[in-house]
Amino acid sequence: MPLADPALGGGIRVRKLSHDYQRDEQRIEALSDVNLDIPVGEFVALVGTSGCGKTTLLDILSGLLESLQGEVLLAGEPPSAGRPDTARMFARDALMPWRTAAQNIDFALATRVQDTDQRAQRIQQLLDAVGLEEFADAYPGQLSQGMRQRVALARTFSLQSKFVMLDEPFGAVDAMTKISLQDQLVELWEQTPSTTVVLVTHDLGEAVALSDRVIVMSPRPGRIVADVPIDLPRPRSVKALQSVSEFHKLVAQLWDELGA
Amino acid sequence: MNTRLGIFVGRSLVILAWGLIWELTARYELLPPAFTGQPSVFLQDFVEHVADGTFPTAALITLQAVAVAFTLGGVLAILTALTMTVFPTVERLFSPIIDALNALPRVALIPLFILWFGLGMLQKVASGVSIMYFVLLSYTLAGAKATDPDHLLLARSLGIPRWRVFNQIIIPSAVPAIFAGLRLGLIYTVLGVITAELIAGGKGLGTLVSYYSNTFDPNGVFATLIVLVIITSTLSAVMSRIERSIGKWRDPVQL
Ligand SMILES: Nc1ncnc2c1ncn2[C@@H]1O[C@H](COP(=O)(O)OP(=O)(O)OP(=O)(O)O)[C@@H](O)[C@H]1O
Ligand SMILES: [Mg+2]
Repeated sequence: MPLADPALGGGIRVRKLSHDYQRDEQRIEALSDVNLDIPVGEFVALVGTSGCGKTTLLDILSGLLESLQGEVLLAGEPPSAGRPDTARMFARDALMPWRTAAQNIDFALATRVQDTDQRAQRIQQLLDAVGLEEFADAYPGQLSQGMRQRVALARTFSLQSKFVMLDEPFGAVDAMTKISLQDQLVELWEQTPSTTVVLVTHDLGEAVALSDRVIVMSPRPGRIVADVPIDLPRPRSVKALQSVSEFHKLVAQLWDELGA
Repeated sequence: MNTRLGIFVGRSLVILAWGLIWELTARYELLPPAFTGQPSVFLQDFVEHVADGTFPTAALITLQAVAVAFTLGGVLAILTALTMTVFPTVERLFSPIIDALNALPRVALIPLFILWFGLGMLQKVASGVSIMYFVLLSYTLAGAKATDPDHLLLARSLGIPRWRVFNQIIIPSAVPAIFAGLRLGLIYTVLGVITAELIAGGKGLGTLVSYYSNTFDPNGVFATLIVLVIITSTLSAVMSRIERSIGKWRDPVQL
């Protein structure tokens, strides 16, 4: 299917998307008339108050939820669960306690790569990238929350998918650990220039620090109320950004947009 | 290590003190020893009956029935649980029936088992299976349902086929509960077999208990109970050991 907007290339395109949930005879309007274009290789953050439909939008993009109304295309194709070019990371790490860190990454990687040696090599690279080279054989129960989140991050990026969807990946870790995880995320993303990332977060600082663009959603039913470009230079260091005034100005602007 | 040693010493002291009080009340006839037994006497009985082969022979007969009932009940329970997990309709159909059967007092069925299977080993096995099957079935089903929804969602997002979800997520998720069920089921199987022996006679440990109590020999009863305690705690310890060596990633489920 040819895309109407050639500038978008093989990116994400959402048109007039609405979604309702049904609960005890009651209709809950989660998304209403969402329009969104994300070009290939962009890092987009999605912010909005709790319950505004961010996870719903991500579920639709990753094919876990069928959209009721509207058009959604990823690289010109409608989303579907198990598409090899999409990867999804969940709010909780979803690591399997009976698999080691390496085996947990392999759970995902094995769906894309047949060759065992090649997989083992890639797993080692990824563990290096997230600073867990010595924990390949550790079980999740033996790792801290931050370490577990890093394994989940490595698992998500092991797929080398064109579209990566992250739902509050660092919601459960402390501020210090968070910054190092954010830096690792940016690093993993910067290594693969054609990867498009959609990150849902409650942390406005995180949204500004990581993304090229922040999409602000209204309270339920979610619609897009602001689209803020983040023109901070790359490569970025989240830690260094904390002392940049432009960074704080953008965070303040987002607070305004959210109406807080 | 120190606290473990401390607990061991403490426990031994409690048992020793209890035995001592028991011994003294019996020796000075504070309570009638014809009813309560006397530790020094039943320990001696225990040693004698172990030496003359009475206990080992009886224990072997009981354990044979336990082994058959445990294996048969266990295999049937796992097969049922797998079927019910793969086909939820089967579970919806049968689970109220299974709950109702499980609520039956098994002792009341033993006369029926005797009627159907005679006085030999088969009725003991039936009694053991009737308990083992339900214990393990309910634990396995609960374990399969305890699958983390996030794992299922992850599998779906990766496009992993159903049979792999079953093998790689649902079964491993159920393993701790299955082991808890096996451990508890084993103890209950011993109880089921002993109860059947108490009622039907024969040559097992349960028969010895009923023989000693019918002949007003509390020391004989207690000596036999020592054998039972040794058997159940050994079996239970072996199960825990196997459980720990397989599931080193997870603490065993506490019963
Ligand atoms: N399965 C469901 N059935 C019924 N209603 C649902 C379901 N999932 C979500 N909702 C409702 O849809 C709305 C949007 O939910 P969603 O999870 O997308 O919000 P969110 O923006 O991700 O919130 P949070 O920031 O708290 O994670 C909420 O009001 C929620 O109550
Ligand atoms: Mg959410």
